[in-house]
Amino acid sequence: MEQHSDTFLENASKALGNKAQADIRDLLGLFTPLLRNAAVDNFEHFEALRHHVKRVRQHSLDNLDHYLATYEQQALKNGNRVHFANSGDDLNSIVLDICQQHNAQRIAKGKSMITEETGLNDFLQRANLDVMETDLGEYIIQQAGETPSHIVGPALHKSADEVRQLFLQKHDLGERELDNTEDIVGEARQILREHFLKAQVGIIGANALVAEDGYSMLVTNEGNGDLCANLPPVLIICTSVERILPRAEDATAMLRLLVRSATGQSQTCYTSFYSGPRREQDVDGPLETHIVLLDNRRTEILASDYREMLQCIRCGACLNHCPIYNSVGGHAYGSVYMGPMGSVLTPLLSSLEESNALPNACTSCGRCAEVCPAEIPLPDLLRDLRHQETVEKITAPRWRIGLKLHTWLARNPRLYHWLTGVGIHLLHLAGRKRGSFRKLPLAGGWTSQRDFPTPQGKTFMQQYRAQRKQS
Amino acid sequence: MTDSSRAGIFSRVRQASAGADSAEIAAQLRSLGRAPAAALPCADLYTSFLINVLKNHGTADLASNRSEAVTATSKYIYQHYNTHRLVAGNDPRLAAMPWREAGVLPRFGALEPGEPVSLSYARLAVAELGAVVTFTGKANPAANNLLAENHIVMVDCMDLVVDMEAAWERIRQITDQEQRPRGVNFIAGPSSTADIEGKQIYGAHGPRQWHVILLGDVPATALQEARSIAAP
Repeated sequence: MEQHSDTFLENASKALGNKAQADIRDLLGLFTPLLRNAAVDNFEHFEALRHHVKRVRQHSLDNLDHYLATYEQQALKNGNRVHFANSGDDLNSIVLDICQQHNAQRIAKGKSMITEETGLNDFLQRANLDVMETDLGEYIIQQAGETPSHIVGPALHKSADEVRQLFLQKHDLGERELDNTEDIVGEARQILREHFLKAQVGIIGANALVAEDGYSMLVTNEGNGDLCANLPPVLIICTSVERILPRAEDATAMLRLLVRSATGQSQTCYTSFYSGPRREQDVDGPLETHIVLLDNRRTEILASDYREMLQCIRCGACLNHCPIYNSVGGHAYGSVYMGPMGSVLTPLLSSLEESNALPNACTSCGRCAEVCPAEIPLPDLLRDLRHQETVEKITAPRWRIGLKLHTWLARNPRLYHWLTGVGIHLLHLAGRKRGSFRKLPLAGGWTSQRDFPTPQGKTFMQQYRAQRKQS
Repeated sequence: MTDSSRAGIFSRVRQASAGADSAEIAAQLRSLGRAPAAALPCADLYTSFLINVLKNHGTADLASNRSEAVTATSKYIYQHYNTHRLVAGNDPRLAAMPWREAGVLPRFGALEPGEPVSLSYARLAVAELGAVVTFTGKANPAANNLLAENHIVMVDCMDLVVDMEAAWERIRQITDQEQRPRGVNFIAGPSSTADIEGKQIYGAHGPRQWHVILLGDVPATALQEARSIAAP
C-alpha cells in the first residue's frame, strides 16, 4: 500500500474528530485486552512459554544462514519452486510472472501482511488480473476501497450496518436485506465460494516456515487460506526470511503464544502445514507451488540494533493495548503496520524521514512490552529511533535545541532546580487569581486543547526537601 | 532477478549470523529444551480431549466399535440432513466400515459442490487443542475438510496424544514410513469468523458444523463429564 506516515499528525486529528469511529475504538480497546488476559491467565506457564519461544527465535535468527539454507533445500525437495525477492517490487514481479505464465486471470488471496507490504493487489490489478481477498475482513475493506485498520482484524473499524450497506451497494442481492451478521457472512461465503472454485492461482502467506522439513504453517479461523492453498491449480506462498524456525514443534509452540495474544483463543480452527504440490496419489491440491521469500531490508535489520523486531509474530497485542492506537486507530499511521510494532517496523522498512512521527506516537506507558508475546522491548526500540532522529537531525530544530538545553540543565542539577523553582514561582504569581492559564509561551500544544493549571508555588523537589526537614 | 536476489540475501544473512557449524547449532537447539504445553482441563486424557472439542464449538460422540461408529454416523446425518448419504475419502479404514448395517450410503472420493456432509478418519487427535489431525491425500482429499457444510471426523482413541509435541513425534514416525503428506491439517472446530464487530459466526467459508466420533474403549462417562464441564 502507499505509505503516508508523514501525515500522521493530520491523520490522527482527523480520526479523533470522528466520534462514531472513536466509540468503536474505545470499545475494542476495552474488549480485546480482556480476551487476551483471560486466555493468558488460563495458560499456567505463559511466561515460561514466552521465554522459551524467544530463545528459539533468537537462536533461529543467530543461525539464519544455516536455517535458511536448510529450509530452501527441504522446500525444493518437497517439489516447490523457491524464489528470493530483495524488494517489494521484486516480489510483485515474481508473482505476476507466475500468474502470466499460467494465463491466470482469477486470483484467490488469503490474508498476508507481506503482500499488503508490497502492494501486490494493486500491482496485479494494474495488470488486469481479478484479485479477490478471501479473508472476510480483507474482503470487506477491499470492497470498500480501504486499507486494514488492524493487522489481525482489518475491518474491525466498520460497524455491521456499514458492512451491510456496502454489500447492498456492491452485490446483486435481489430481495435479500441481510438483516443480521449471519446473513452478511453468508452472503460473503456464497460470493467467495464461487471465486475459490474458479480461481487459477491461490496466494497465501505463512505464519512460520519449518527448516527441518520445508513445511509452511498457515493459521486461520475461517479456512479461507486453506481453500486458497488447496483448490486453485497454482499456489504461491508469499512470506519473508525471518519466518523460519528450526522444527515443527517450534512453530506450534509459537502458535500457542499467537492465538492467545491475538484473539484470546486457546486454538484457532485451522492450523495447516503445507509441503508442496500434490503427490502422485493425491486427488486434489495444487499442481504447482511457489514460495517467494521477501527480504525488503530485513537482512539490514538483522545486522542492526533493531534485530529483536524480527521476532514479532504479528499478533496485534501491542496494538490492542496501546493508548495511542486506541485513540487514533490504525489508518492514522499511514502504513501497513500500525501501533507500537508498526511505529518501529515502518521506519526500518522505509525510512525515518518518511515516518519520523511514528516513533513519537508513544506515551512510554510500557503496556506493549508487557503484553508482547515475543518479549520485544518496543518502548526501548521506539526511544532508540527517536534518539536516531535527533542524531540524524530529522527532528525539528526547535525540538533539538530544546533537548540540548534540557540535557545541559540536567547535567547541572543545582541550576536546574533553581531555574525550575523560579519558573514555578513566577507561574504561581501570574496565575494564582485565575487558577489556570489559557495560553502559555512554549506550551501551545498543551493549551490549544485545555487550560494549564496554575502551579501551587513550589516544585516537587522543594516540597520533598521541606517535608524531609520537618520529619 | 531471483538468482541475484538469492545471492545477496544469503550473503547479508551470512554476515549477520553467528557462523556456528551444524553440530554446534544442533547442540544449542537441544539445550533450549521443550516448550510448556497448555494444561489439560482434567486428569483423564479422553475427557480432556472431549471437553476441548466441545469448547471449540464442536459436537462429539463415542463408539466402542465400527458398528457403533456407523450407527452414530447414520443417526447424526439423518437427524441433521434427513439423508443417509455422505462423502468419504478412499481411506481403507472407512471402506471397511459396515455401512449397510445402518443404511448409510457413502460415496468414496473428493466432495463435489452441493454435497453437504463429508467424513474423515483422522490420523491423530490432540487433547491439548481439542483438534483432529488429517493428512491430505487420496484417503482424505482437502475438499472434504473444507467444502462440506458438516464435517464428521472419526478418530481412534489409541491415536489421541496429549499435546502438540507428542503429535509431531507421532507424525515423524508416520512420515518415516510414508511419503511426507502435502498437507498436515490440525482442525479444531467449524470454520468461524469474528471480523464483523467481533461477533463470532460459524460457517465463514468451510463447515458450519464439526462432529467428532471417538472410537475405541472409552468409558461413556467421559463424554457425560466433558459435557458437564464444557457447558457454558
